[in-house]
Amino acid sequence: MEPNGKVLYINYEKCTGCRLCELVCSVVHDGVSNPARSRIRVMKWEAEGLYIPMSCQQCQDAPCMNVCPVKAISRDETLERVMVDYDKCIGCRSCVAVCPFGAMSFDTVDKKVFKCDVCDGDPQCVRFCEEKAVDYVDARELGTLKKRDAARRISIAGKEAAVLLAQA
Amino acid sequence: MPLDRKIGYVDLSTGNIEIKPIPLEIRKKFLGGRGLDAYLLYNHTKKGVDPLGPDNVLLFSGGILTATCASATARTHVMAKSPLTGLLGSANMGGFFAPELAWAGFHHIVIKGKARKPVYLWIHNGEIEIRDAKNIWGRTVTDSQWAIRDELGDEEVKCAVCGPAGENLVRFANVMTGIKNSAGRTGMGCVMGSKNLKALAARGTMDIKIAHPTEALEFNKRFIDQIVSAKVNQTQGTLGTPFIWGATNSWGGIRCRNFQLNQCEYADDIEPERLDEIATETIGPYHMTGCFGCQVHCRAQYRIPSGPYAGRYDEGPEYTSQGAFGGEPDCKNAVTVLTGNHLVDQFGMDNLETGSLISWAMELYELGILTQKETDGLDLRFGNDEALLEMIERICYRKGWLGDTLADGGIPASEKIGKNSFDYLIQVKGMSNLHSDERATPALALGIATGSRGSDHLRSRPAIDLYHLPEEVLRKIYGTPVPYDGPLSSEHTAYEGKPWQVFWQENCYMGVDCLGICKYHTTFLGATLPNFEDWSRVLYYNTGLEMTPREIWDVAERCYNIERLFNLREGLKRDNPKKGDTLNHRYFDEPCKLGAPDVVGRTIDREKFQKMIDEYYEHHGWDSDGVPLPETLKRLGLENEPSHLL
Amino acid sequence: MAMEKEGLSTAESLRKTRTYGKFRCHNPSCMGRLQPKAGEKQVKCPVCGMEYRVHWIRPDFPRIRGPVWDVNRKIAQEALAKKEGKEDATR
Repeated sequence: MEPNGKVLYINYEKCTGCRLCELVCSVVHDGVSNPARSRIRVMKWEAEGLYIPMSCQQCQDAPCMNVCPVKAISRDETLERVMVDYDKCIGCRSCVAVCPFGAMSFDTVDKKVFKCDVCDGDPQCVRFCEEKAVDYVDARELGTLKKRDAARRISIAGKEAAVLLAQA
Repeated sequence: MPLDRKIGYVDLSTGNIEIKPIPLEIRKKFLGGRGLDAYLLYNHTKKGVDPLGPDNVLLFSGGILTATCASATARTHVMAKSPLTGLLGSANMGGFFAPELAWAGFHHIVIKGKARKPVYLWIHNGEIEIRDAKNIWGRTVTDSQWAIRDELGDEEVKCAVCGPAGENLVRFANVMTGIKNSAGRTGMGCVMGSKNLKALAARGTMDIKIAHPTEALEFNKRFIDQIVSAKVNQTQGTLGTPFIWGATNSWGGIRCRNFQLNQCEYADDIEPERLDEIATETIGPYHMTGCFGCQVHCRAQYRIPSGPYAGRYDEGPEYTSQGAFGGEPDCKNAVTVLTGNHLVDQFGMDNLETGSLISWAMELYELGILTQKETDGLDLRFGNDEALLEMIERICYRKGWLGDTLADGGIPASEKIGKNSFDYLIQVKGMSNLHSDERATPALALGIATGSRGSDHLRSRPAIDLYHLPEEVLRKIYGTPVPYDGPLSSEHTAYEGKPWQVFWQENCYMGVDCLGICKYHTTFLGATLPNFEDWSRVLYYNTGLEMTPREIWDVAERCYNIERLFNLREGLKRDNPKKGDTLNHRYFDEPCKLGAPDVVGRTIDREKFQKMIDEYYEHHGWDSDGVPLPETLKRLGLENEPSHLL
Repeated sequence: MAMEKEGLSTAESLRKTRTYGKFRCHNPSCMGRLQPKAGEKQVKCPVCGMEYRVHWIRPDFPRIRGPVWDVNRKIAQEALAKKEGKEDATR
């Protein structure tokens, strides 16, 4: 199978903080509603209205993969993802400790680590997020999307500066 | 199996805590949320109980679908006997509290007694603990929540709190969660204050089991598609509930200057589009936020752009704040509305009641019934923005004669102020009306007059009546799940068929309140939004409970009758102007002066109004005094209430 | 127990009745459907003469922002005078 070249793309500015992604993730993977089991979590600073969804970045040189003492973690290039082989996993949680994003979690019920598997190429958090705060895009387009966003912001800032100058 | 959430009984006087399962037969009869709360309230209180005494029972709950894979099951319901009306106290809020309560193992918390000193409840993975609140008492709504998180060392804790208004026993204090989500009517925060209960703090990591996960997920997607494709929700998702202002004020359906005018003219600065601009300027292009699992995201984020509170963060304002701090007191400045909204959010009191009572006082002041002696020197004329904001604070802290008087609610205040002040008080059953003017809309007038928690737009409002839907569409909606072949009129100024619409909406809103779903996800503001048939499916997929749309309707009717029984027990009488299914005389006597040509001159017709009440009682199976007939109670299985099953 | 799980519900079947791009005149006795031209800031009801300011939720989605105050106030005053006049005549 050809690599689909797609990655999860989080635009936290668009996030409304509803946490539907968390609900959907736990229902899809575990058949229950429980954000504690969700692979994606929305971190919140309510006092300033800031919501940031956090999930696995599927790193190329993944620290979880490097630290795993039994080589249970590997990259699946077809779906651009990092996967855990539960036949090998010994549940030592080294990967949880080392992940710079907190994206690897430990399930206290099933006693195993868990992380985002991009729902085998059809991420349900993306399907349910009407805002597209979580999106699934071509990795090659990632930079372009970011450029567009940044360019728009610069343009707005420029216009605002011009208004301020005119008012001064 | 699903439906394993518990009910926790807490006695604050003795410190005793008891945890019980909720039997399936109780679920089938009352589902959960508001309906089961009504059953518990009726069963656990005695006639004439003092709302502020230890024997009043305070109930917190999520609906039967809360935190399941259904759409927008964010609602928390709070119930007790109301210290504002002396009748049913019931309020509902969004946010994230009820789902967290469910993940912590509970759907219902029943609180009795009174703590000797301030406490809060810590509800965590199946356990309930009563904790000292000495470091939290006295703090504002948001500060209280952040202080509890600090104390418990967990940023994910969700709290339902009362603010300073609740502590000071303001009779219309809210229970609140998050920045602005308010269980904001009938003074449930006041009951918290009276029990020395500052907060409920919940945090849970327990699974909510889903009966049919794949089907539940797919049906949720279908449900969400139906909801987000509705024009009304697309508008709400952009402008929030203030969008209603544009639709209502343009034809003359807004109370202005208490009840003197029915339109707030030239109020461009408080129009939804203007408020949206401020949110964009102070937050950014993506400034809408939502409750748990909801894709409508009807709440704006904003910072106050100028004035003494410049830079403060808040959410909203809702349509209610536009009226309470804009239209009614005739203060047409966005900054005033945003500041007033922020103050009540921080104090934890009902924006609607606060703004309405201040506007009433303004009218009394202009009439000379109140003078600067009673206002402690405050020039309380209409349009005085500073006086309005000052009064909000005086009410919360009971400062000055008038602040302390208004904090007791409209009817006690009218008795203290005397003269003919009561004639100007726009209330039903002791609770102030929303700032909407219902003189041109008999259906809406009937709804507020008969609402089980007093004047209210969220108990039975057939808001879609304003859309002039073709009769065949109305028949489709109002003819299921029980057949109806009586009159129905597309004309919103008509009286025909309106009692049935109000009755139907009552059951519809009771239905969502039992399920724990938001009213923006049902036939409230949009005609094409889900109701009974859709709920039957969503209930089955998530809980495994097989109930037909008709059976859900029956639950709603059963629960509404329990609320009626409670109100009758506590003194509701059909024609009692303070405790009845009535309207202020101005609805009948003072014609609308502004708005669309067809609205100008409108009043509610006294005789036709009484006929509507008769008809409404008949639909319910109540006698001409509004008392459920024995056969009605038997049909609904309520002949043995109180039955003390739980 | 009969559990109808397939097919469209009433709410879903009513979805096709939604009318995008139009709104109704806010005069209850009129309620004519108005369809402003794309981007138009103001619209006048050809039937009853009420005038409204238009806000666009999206380029294809207009709504009434509020009345054109001076115009509608005048219409309201005329209507009130007429109704009060009528009332006096019947007394």
